[in-house]
Amino acid sequence: MSFGEYVVSRWDTLSLAAAEHAMVVAIAMAVATAVGVLIGLLFYDSPRARGGAIAASAAVLTVPSLALLTLLIPITGLGWGSTLVALTAYAFLPIIRNTVTGLRGLDAATVEAGRGMGLSRTRVLLQVQLPLAWPLILTGVRVSAQMLIGIAAIAAFVDGPGLGTQIFEGLSRLGSVNSLNATLAGTLGIVVVAILFDLFFFAVSRLTTPRGLRVRS
Amino acid sequence: MFDRDTEGVRIELRSLTKHYPGQPAPAVDDVTLDIPAGELVVLVGPSGCGKTTTMKMINRLVEPSSGEIRIGGQDVLGLNPDQLRRHIGYAIQQVGLFPHQTVAQNIGLVPKLLGWSADRINARVEELLSLVSLEPSLFRDRYPRQLSGGQQQRVGVARALAADPPVMLMDEPFGATDPITREHLQNEFARLQKQLRKTIIFVTHDFEEAIKLGDRIAILRERSHIAQYDTPAAILAAPADDYVAGFIGQDGTLKRLALLSVADVTPALPPDTRLPQVSADASLREALDLMLSHGTDKCSSPTGVLTYASLCEAVGAPAEAVVSGDR
Ligand SMILES: Nc1ncnc2c1ncn2[C@@H]1O[C@H](COP(=O)(O)OP(=O)(O)O)[C@@H](O)[C@H]1O
Ligand SMILES: [Mg+2]
Repeated sequence: MSFGEYVVSRWDTLSLAAAEHAMVVAIAMAVATAVGVLIGLLFYDSPRARGGAIAASAAVLTVPSLALLTLLIPITGLGWGSTLVALTAYAFLPIIRNTVTGLRGLDAATVEAGRGMGLSRTRVLLQVQLPLAWPLILTGVRVSAQMLIGIAAIAAFVDGPGLGTQIFEGLSRLGSVNSLNATLAGTLGIVVVAILFDLFFFAVSRLTTPRGLRVRS
Repeated sequence: MFDRDTEGVRIELRSLTKHYPGQPAPAVDDVTLDIPAGELVVLVGPSGCGKTTTMKMINRLVEPSSGEIRIGGQDVLGLNPDQLRRHIGYAIQQVGLFPHQTVAQNIGLVPKLLGWSADRINARVEELLSLVSLEPSLFRDRYPRQLSGGQQQRVGVARALAADPPVMLMDEPFGATDPITREHLQNEFARLQKQLRKTIIFVTHDFEEAIKLGDRIAILRERSHIAQYDTPAAILAAPADDYVAGFIGQDGTLKRLALLSVADVTPALPPDTRLPQVSADASLREALDLMLSHGTDKCSSPTGVLTYASLCEAVGAPAEAVVSGDR
């Protein structure tokens, strides 16, 4: 069976796996973005708190994904649960780090002018600092998403959702009919998902970056 | 908030002190200063002498360690800082416009916080842009990054004036522009203040700027100790000590001439069209310049003839010596 015939014959399985792959990454990203940006907003101004948050999220990344998934099985079981927890944990570092960098990197005069005009600390944070830091935060989110799409393939190891199943199937039946086709289909599927995510982020970035930051003088 | 809403109110500083934690000495030490309603008072002194700290205590961006601040009789330290700041205009050297908001949004921010209607804010934005010489139709929808440095400083001043506050704090607001733009902004601002009569505290390290803009000048030493507090003319005529004299420099008399205008001097004779001509609102310094460049000791203006002797008299120098001494 050629690769083309393989894809056509397994279209339902493949498209479902791709959709699940995208779904599990999207859910993990949504949670990690909400929590990560919140952590950044709360901790960016305290050297100790922001250092701790960044160190912790970096430490998680050093744990090999296979090990993390295995360790999670007793707690969150096989399948979606462990996959989501692991992916969310891996997503934090770029998001928190970029949020902190973005909020700290702003011109101090902008913040001072805001406070001096009578905006409360919270208003300055949400109406001035957050919009100005947003492009950098979004970059962090985008990096995280690309990372998770790759890592999510390993979720197949704990019977998780996604295109990893295809790749593992090929690996485990190496040499047999279609084993190469299965691995190739899984890999290409992941590339397609990654491209779609990137297009999504490109659109989001165009739509949400304040116009005043895009204009050229 | 204050007893008068838009026109200037009196500001009183009493034994105001700020000791930053971890610093060996206070940055501002026991400052007492009265700023009369509707006057522009310049705090001038070398870098690091505590000008900014003194100013920021008034809108409580810096909390005083001890002392009192009263604005229009109200004890400022008993007010909510955010509420207080919405009634005090604030303009700084780095301007600090919000880059993600248009010029109109930047200017309309405080009025919006104060609950003004959209129509009223719009009208106010137009009015202020015209006031600072920026064509509203051209500038209201621009973003700060689309403005030159001088234009940004104008918008900064417009933003500080937005809610028509009785009090303005300005920390080297024209400091970041080139000398020509700077002079232009100073002249415009001086004219503006003549109409507005706000109570303004203006910080600068530039003595020339202080003389040009101030109704009064407070010359500060380190820790904001006041070396002399008086009108520019009085300080130039009688510097309190060597420190103040050092600030004035070698050309104090010329600086005094610059503060007086031709119209201030009683003319010696009726206008004479054969003499070099100077306008009535020119400064005596310009008149002197004209005489020097024509090699004469007289010039004429629409109010009459001005002599070298009358210039000497205007700055209180013994004129007889010049008139009789035929050197
Ligand atoms: N936030 C701060 N913490 C500690 N020291 C400060 C702070 N701000 C200013 N200072 C110190 O206080 C002194 C006065 O500073 P400042 O008021 O900014 O002076 P100026 O505006 O006259 O240049 C300086 O020695 C400065 O280093
Ligand atoms: Mg300063």
